[in-house]
Amino acid sequence: MTGDLSWRTAIRIAWREARASTVKFAFVILAVAVGVGALTGVRGFSRAFHSMLIREARTLIASDLSVRTFAIATPDQDAVMNRLASRGVDHTWITETISMAAVEGKPPVLVSVKAVDPAKYPYYGSLRLDPDAPLTSVLTRDTVAASDDLLLRLGLSPGSTIRLGGQPFRLIGTIVNEPDRMSGSLNVGPRLLITRDGLERAGLMLPGSRAAERYLFRIPPTTNVEEVRTSLKTAFPESMIADFRQAHPAIESGLRQATTFLSLVSLISLIVGALGVATAIRAHLDQRLDSIAVMKCLGARSAQIMRIYVIQTVVLALIGSTLGIAVGLLVEAVFPSLIAKYFNVRPGIQLDWVPAAQGIGIGLLTSLLFTVPPLLGIRRVRPSLIFRREMAEAKPSWRERIKQGRPAMISGAALLIALGLIAGSLTSAPPREAFRIGGYFVVAVVVSLAALSAVAFVLLRSLRRLSRHLAGFPMAIRHGIANLYRPGNHAEAILVALGVGVMFTLLVYVVQRGVIGEMMRTAPPGMPNVFLLDVKQADRQPVLDLIAAQKGIEKGPDLISTVSAKLATINGQALSNDKTKGFARRFLYTRAVAAVEGKPPYADVLNGAWWTASGGPSVCASEDAVRTLKLKPGDQINWTVGGRSIPTRLACVVRIDPIHLMGRLDFLFDERLLRGFPVISYASVRVEPKSVAPLQLAMYQKFPTVTVMNVADVLRIIQEVVDQISIEVRFISAFAILAGIIILASSVAGTRFRRIREVVILKTLGATRARIAGIFSVEFLILGAVAGIMGSLLAMAFGAIVIKRLLKADPHFEPAVYATAIVATALLANVAGWLASFRILGQKPLQVLRDE
Amino acid sequence: MGPSGSGKSTLLGLLAGLDSPTSGSIVLDGEEIGGLSEDRMAGVRGRKIGFVFQSYNLIPTLTAEENVLLPFELSGGNGGGRERARELLRMVGVLDRADHYPVQLSGGEQQRVALARAFIVSPPILLADEPTGNLDTVNGQRILELLIEMNRREQTTLVLVTHDVALAAHADRIIMLRDGRIVSDERKA
Repeated sequence: MTGDLSWRTAIRIAWREARASTVKFAFVILAVAVGVGALTGVRGFSRAFHSMLIREARTLIASDLSVRTFAIATPDQDAVMNRLASRGVDHTWITETISMAAVEGKPPVLVSVKAVDPAKYPYYGSLRLDPDAPLTSVLTRDTVAASDDLLLRLGLSPGSTIRLGGQPFRLIGTIVNEPDRMSGSLNVGPRLLITRDGLERAGLMLPGSRAAERYLFRIPPTTNVEEVRTSLKTAFPESMIADFRQAHPAIESGLRQATTFLSLVSLISLIVGALGVATAIRAHLDQRLDSIAVMKCLGARSAQIMRIYVIQTVVLALIGSTLGIAVGLLVEAVFPSLIAKYFNVRPGIQLDWVPAAQGIGIGLLTSLLFTVPPLLGIRRVRPSLIFRREMAEAKPSWRERIKQGRPAMISGAALLIALGLIAGSLTSAPPREAFRIGGYFVVAVVVSLAALSAVAFVLLRSLRRLSRHLAGFPMAIRHGIANLYRPGNHAEAILVALGVGVMFTLLVYVVQRGVIGEMMRTAPPGMPNVFLLDVKQADRQPVLDLIAAQKGIEKGPDLISTVSAKLATINGQALSNDKTKGFARRFLYTRAVAAVEGKPPYADVLNGAWWTASGGPSVCASEDAVRTLKLKPGDQINWTVGGRSIPTRLACVVRIDPIHLMGRLDFLFDERLLRGFPVISYASVRVEPKSVAPLQLAMYQKFPTVTVMNVADVLRIIQEVVDQISIEVRFISAFAILAGIIILASSVAGTRFRRIREVVILKTLGATRARIAGIFSVEFLILGAVAGIMGSLLAMAFGAIVIKRLLKADPHFEPAVYATAIVATALLANVAGWLASFRILGQKPLQVLRDE
Repeated sequence: MGPSGSGKSTLLGLLAGLDSPTSGSIVLDGEEIGGLSEDRMAGVRGRKIGFVFQSYNLIPTLTAEENVLLPFELSGGNGGGRERARELLRMVGVLDRADHYPVQLSGGEQQRVALARAFIVSPPILLADEPTGNLDTVNGQRILELLIEMNRREQTTLVLVTHDVALAAHADRIIMLRDGRIVSDERKA
């Protein structure tokens, strides 16, 4: 073979070699398909969801344009809406708030209340009730509709009477479909639909009450939407505006972040799949050393021989990626049911060429990148190998090995850069941000793989050493362990591949448990467990008296008064919308500030001095606000409160114990400055858990408009949300485990002939099937268990870092979780191992021995 | 003895119960083994038959000593196996390689280990399929000498398949096969 090895010949050799390794390569294809499937599934669903957001944009906001704000429209804003109405731009007003709903003899329940005008709402889409009836005819000032969970909790049925704000309402049925459910606010607890007149009658709304206001607009086709939007943006500068020409900004932003995160999780599965391709190609090359040496003897150059294996990799990756698109469609089909509780959407499954092409491209590129290092090994195969196969080659020196490994190192660096670019491209962020995320991703992958490889190396070495001292142990255990070191087994690669999936899935679970555990633990004895919202100025003392008369009060009550105020200028400078980033953006909007008569006992002055009567109009600020806004005592801060300007001077910086309600507020005003403005009070109290329901009932009977929030209920809701998010992430990260398991199966299939030979030798020497099955089972179980241990160790370590650094909490060790993971991985590995060893035990010895 | 394709290895496999005859019967120690289940036959082999293959057939994941011990463990033996294995390795001259894996041994060394393995349970019958076929002349000769010496020492019935006339000269009885049939059966006086 002199001259060039033609592509045609290369393809022919590649095809024939692949045909001889069908089973092994079938698993490789599956591993790539799983990774690509997760990626295309996530991105396909995201695009379908996005298309649906645009297609159904009018339905999702129940209008052509919606304005959401947290304050009732001022007369000026009303005037703007009325001017638009005179041009045919109709509007309707929706209020969403939380309150207590009750029935006779049961403790009240926290509900999300949505007040609408049934004559106009919804402009688009339909609100369906069960029993079915037109909203206009059944929803009146005396009736309500509720979500089915409220009916269950309070034992209601259509026709029952329910009390809201102390007023009776007749239940007309359950809400089956609410078009703008996703764009709503304050979704806490069961939902209650009421008319605006009904809301008025219930008396829930006070100036300063916590509520979201939405103004929905129907714009005639002849009117310029942008013009309407601009005039509303000018009138409502603090609002979030959505119109039918775009996907809903809040949902869109959440979707983008979720897509980025889940795409990166999918990329991990794909990396595991690519590791599988690389391992299989390496094993394949090991078995083809003779053929490679012969080709070199006949004059073929390394680059020409590499061509054969590049063709094989490309074909495997292409088939795997194409199959991955089908897997992706399955993922798309499953995804809606995972998020059904919060987003009842069925965007429909259809083959979308953009994510499909992206999946094929990334699948192909990743597989090729990971295969480069083993392919470079072809350069080191010496033609003389065929003449002196029996002789072990002298081990090169370290210097020699580093020199030999240089191309692999360069290709490794290129691989990492390419991986970073791929990860960055999946983020749909601006280039600088994409680079940053890509960089972090690569660092995380490298650290994880390096840590897993190190742990795999140590565990395998320890096991081997240990196996020499297991003379008294059953033969199956000793031989099972010995099998881990079978030539071509690539136990370390399998462990790393399987360990990545276990580690990641477990890490998500550990962090989820950490978040929930932290929530539970941060409610220690002494921390308030009941909050009272929207207490009117006049009710302050009676509410305190009622609480004092209740049984089971352990601590409190702590009551604070707030007024809504907007920070206008600091030392004459307005806050810039463009320059204010991150958490500081909250200061751009109207927020609650505390009105206090003097220094609260739990507030420590860190800098400056508490104001005095002679010190002029003063405020004190929290440490966080001072740091974020770069303030110092003496700074001049001007405020807008209820349309009036109030100048103040920053008197001091305070630190407030975060368990107090005041800890949530950034500015403490001298209450004399805020006299005449609507004041809303909040209270917190620590109550024995069994006394919470009687307190809620007593409070509801006397002050039906006061919302009594039980922290336990809120924690349960948060836990449900955290659980839900965790399930979705684990669903995608489980693909990495699947890919790892497939790689294990691929490796087992790759050593099939060696295993068959062992089976027949053992049979010839007198071993029964059960005994051989025991040896192989021990091998698979150990592989799985070691991968499980590795994944658990690293999930524990990384989980502790995440919980400690990000959640600022102490990690808790839960042995049962890790034990379950280890056992489950071992069993999974055993199943996969035996699936790949199909019919191996039934081999007739003579047949195999004669074929040698 | 016989040329390639004459049925030597098939006959050896049938004698070992590695395959079942389509007709006729195989009687070992007065027991008909043709109809035994696979696992029962494995038990019979473990107790009564030792093997030496042309291509050694050591288990690659076990050391030389562990390979030798394997039939001992499979036959349920406990105690004294390790000493016997080391004794046999000493006899075949590879005791210093006891902790080596097959891949670390030369062909001749692997076949010595295979010989030691064949004798570990002192089987009454030893079946050897072209045991020197993969070795050079010097190593082949040494293995042959060892085989005969150990056979004599262990009082084993040795059934040897070969087409090497020099090797056959050491046998008490020579059966010639051609095209699956016995064409001659000579006994030495």
